[in-house]
Amino acid sequence: MEPIIKVENLDLYYDKFQALKKISLEIHQNKVTALIGPSGCGKSTFLRCLNRMNDLIEGMRMDGTILFHGEHSESSTYDVIGLRKKVGMVFQRPNPFPMSIFDNVAFGPRQQGEKNKQVLKEIVEKSLKQAALWDEVSDRLSESATKLSGGQQQRLCIARAIAMEPEVILMDEPTSALDPLATQRIEDLIEELKKNYTIIIVTHSMQQAARISDKTAFFLMGEVIEYGSTADIFANPNDKRTEDYITGRFG
Amino acid sequence: MGSKSLSRVDRITYFLLTIVGLISASFIVFISIFIALKGVLPFLTDNLGLGSVSLFKFLTQTVWLNGPTFVSTAYGAGFLIVNTLYIAFLSLLISFPIGVLTALFIAKIAPKKIAGILRTIIELLSAIPSIVYGLVGVGFFLPIIYSLARSLGYSSSGGSGTLATVFVLALMSIPTITSISEVSIRSVDQSIEHASLALGATFTQTRFKITLLAAKSGIFSGAILAIGRSLGEATAVSLVAGNARSGPTFGLFDITSTITSTMLTGLKETQGIDYDIRFSLGIVLMVVILLTNMILNYIKKKVGNVHA
Amino acid sequence: MRNKTRLSDILLNGFVYLATSLSVLALGLIFFYVFTEGKDLLSLDLIRGNYHSRNYVATLPQSSNDSFNLQPTEQTFAIERFGLILEQSENLAGDSVIRVVYVADDSPFSQLVLQETGNEVVSLKEGMIMMRIAYENHPTSLTSRGAAAMAADLNDPDRVVREVMFAQVGGGIRGSIITTVYLIGLTLMMALPLGVLSAIFFNEFAPRNMITKTMRTFTETLTGVPSIIFGLLGITVFVPLTIRITPASGSNLIAGAMTLAVILLPTIIRTTEEALKVVPADHRFASLALGANKTQTVFKVVLPQAIPGILTATFLGIGRIIGESAALIFVLGAAIKDSVNIYQPSTSLAVHIWAMMTDEPANVALSSTIAIIILMIVLVMNLSIKGVVSLMIKKGRA
Repeated sequence: MEPIIKVENLDLYYDKFQALKKISLEIHQNKVTALIGPSGCGKSTFLRCLNRMNDLIEGMRMDGTILFHGEHSESSTYDVIGLRKKVGMVFQRPNPFPMSIFDNVAFGPRQQGEKNKQVLKEIVEKSLKQAALWDEVSDRLSESATKLSGGQQQRLCIARAIAMEPEVILMDEPTSALDPLATQRIEDLIEELKKNYTIIIVTHSMQQAARISDKTAFFLMGEVIEYGSTADIFANPNDKRTEDYITGRFG
Repeated sequence: MGSKSLSRVDRITYFLLTIVGLISASFIVFISIFIALKGVLPFLTDNLGLGSVSLFKFLTQTVWLNGPTFVSTAYGAGFLIVNTLYIAFLSLLISFPIGVLTALFIAKIAPKKIAGILRTIIELLSAIPSIVYGLVGVGFFLPIIYSLARSLGYSSSGGSGTLATVFVLALMSIPTITSISEVSIRSVDQSIEHASLALGATFTQTRFKITLLAAKSGIFSGAILAIGRSLGEATAVSLVAGNARSGPTFGLFDITSTITSTMLTGLKETQGIDYDIRFSLGIVLMVVILLTNMILNYIKKKVGNVHA
Repeated sequence: MRNKTRLSDILLNGFVYLATSLSVLALGLIFFYVFTEGKDLLSLDLIRGNYHSRNYVATLPQSSNDSFNLQPTEQTFAIERFGLILEQSENLAGDSVIRVVYVADDSPFSQLVLQETGNEVVSLKEGMIMMRIAYENHPTSLTSRGAAAMAADLNDPDRVVREVMFAQVGGGIRGSIITTVYLIGLTLMMALPLGVLSAIFFNEFAPRNMITKTMRTFTETLTGVPSIIFGLLGITVFVPLTIRITPASGSNLIAGAMTLAVILLPTIIRTTEEALKVVPADHRFASLALGANKTQTVFKVVLPQAIPGILTATFLGIGRIIGESAALIFVLGAAIKDSVNIYQPSTSLAVHIWAMMTDEPANVALSSTIAIIILMIVLVMNLSIKGVVSLMIKKGRA
């Protein structure tokens, strides 16, 4: 099956510093792909290439190709807004908008022009259910989102992203700011979500990668050292550096 | 620091400084007491045989003075209160959008160098004294308004009046609103802006729907401050208002007067009730400003709670 | 839907650019207007001259009939007999006047004796207006006859001058400038010590309790008070106070300075406090650990480091003083004076504008000239503050 995202020889520079070196990777549909590696090795940078959020950084330069459904999404003529609707993102720290829970989830569809109240209600309910938050907030949708706990806020952000009905969801260390219980809930959620979405998750926790991902890529100093099924990577790493990282010798 | 560790010299210093501090703190007390005392006199005393001024009439009447000066006590400031509030809010209608959008431009859209230049321009504008605004109002705005009125078929007293006052106050309010809003907008957490962009919203959508929303508390505070200043502005207003003796005035081309303009120009005498009554106006001014501030701050809290 | 988005985006962006342009235009408008209207009158004479025009009647001292060497131009008329050059001109109101163009240093006209005092010597100066000259046994030279006729009369060797009437044109702002300078000096003299010491009190000595918190609130409330209210404070408290303890008998400059001091107070306190807060606590600890007492620590170690902040407060204060109008109109009066006395009413530059603008007819040109001066000073103050701040940053203190 064709991979939904195919990256070839991706180089990325922040001014003079090269953050990504000749990355080549294939992301497959409805799979959870984990990106692991020590801090500062380019995992989050790579993630942000997939929805062109790196464009916001001054002095950023990119070479190589990123094919999204076979189209060059790295090209300057590519519809970036459209890309971001299909490739959603959940950030490291929950960042709900200073609005009601309802308005948070409905934000994306509203910006795309959806005005019908009934339609919006359905979208909000569906997204919150998928994000396993509906039961907890269904009776207080008009309350401010900032009143929710950290874990709930992060699930809200997931619901917000899902409301756009993306194909891919990018998650940048989504549980690093959460307690173990909340983390568990989100990991369960990811298991459910992968039935309908392709998920790429950057994580510092190897245990998390081992638990929830189907494929894992090991990043080191801006390069992909090894990429394969999670089972292979963790049980039979090919590269010594991968083995060292996994066994905790550094990182 | 406990007083145990203070040496004798320090104790003396402490004592002297406390006195200084008390002096500084006392001025507001003096202002309140003295102005209040002098201001309530016309209502409580006989005013040298003229009879006391009726408080109710003072607050509600629509003519400044019925009858000849020094004989009549029929002072009425009701219309002044209405005019003052009307003009202040009208000017906010102009200065608020201009100020907030300029702040948005400086904080989020402009490249660094241009943002710096614009910030300096706004700083300069806020340093310009009100008398200069009044001068420009008379020299530049009045003739324009006069011609405008004539071409529309209205009569105007050389251009003086509500519209001129509103323009001048709006001009003066722009730097206040811009600088406070700009700080507020700049301090909005970038993370939620990124979240918005990641959802496929455009930059403009993000700025207007998310950034301004997140900054609304500070922006509102800026507006409240601007209104407070507009309510208290005296010299610039009195040069372009036209000094109406009755009201209230709602027509844009008609002459008007505010509480402050009447305090400044409407009173020529240096003794007696015509003199004392300006203190009464001072009390009215402070009460209007205080109440407006309280009400607006209350609204700000309420609106703030609904969303975040 | 994408097109709708794009349309609303363009519209909104358009509004943003429009708003910003309007803000920039506003500044441009003010400076441009003030400069165009006022630049013509800007001159050194303006700053040195009296506002009110003054007429003089004087007699010529004994002269030896010297003959002076003069170089008149085509439009001017030379009086070789007295070392004088006159010209036909117009005053601001458009009337014809005879203007003095040149007076030789040793001309008898440079030693005119004023009639009213009998011994005060005044010199006819360039720029003054000759009004009439009376002679013994000859008809008077009048303005209405023109400069040429007056010159011819004066050059007539038979004529003996009995009396000279001339005028010093007004429109100068010396009085207001002096008033403003006095105001700045007196106000800062009162406000800086009071403000700085209060800041030291609040930041270094005051314990944290309800009383000091209330004191602080009271002090800060002053910032929200419109300046006209301070004017009322001035006339109820400071004017009667100064009348009682000084030779003043009505509105006066000292009361004005006191009022301004109260207006400046909260700004000085706040700015100084911020400067004090920036001084690292370690410096205070180090000083105390060396055995210094608190007073020495504060005044010898902390305060010197807060000087840039105090300087900033001073510049802000000067800018405020120069621009203040409403309060001063009440306390200082609106009567333009040429000789300034701190126990008497007068006008600052800002109030001078006010006085002229509320006059009939309003003198927009001269007001604009004064506005130019005010704006220049305010500009300089603002740039100075920026300079102080960047100096502070360079020294690593900001």
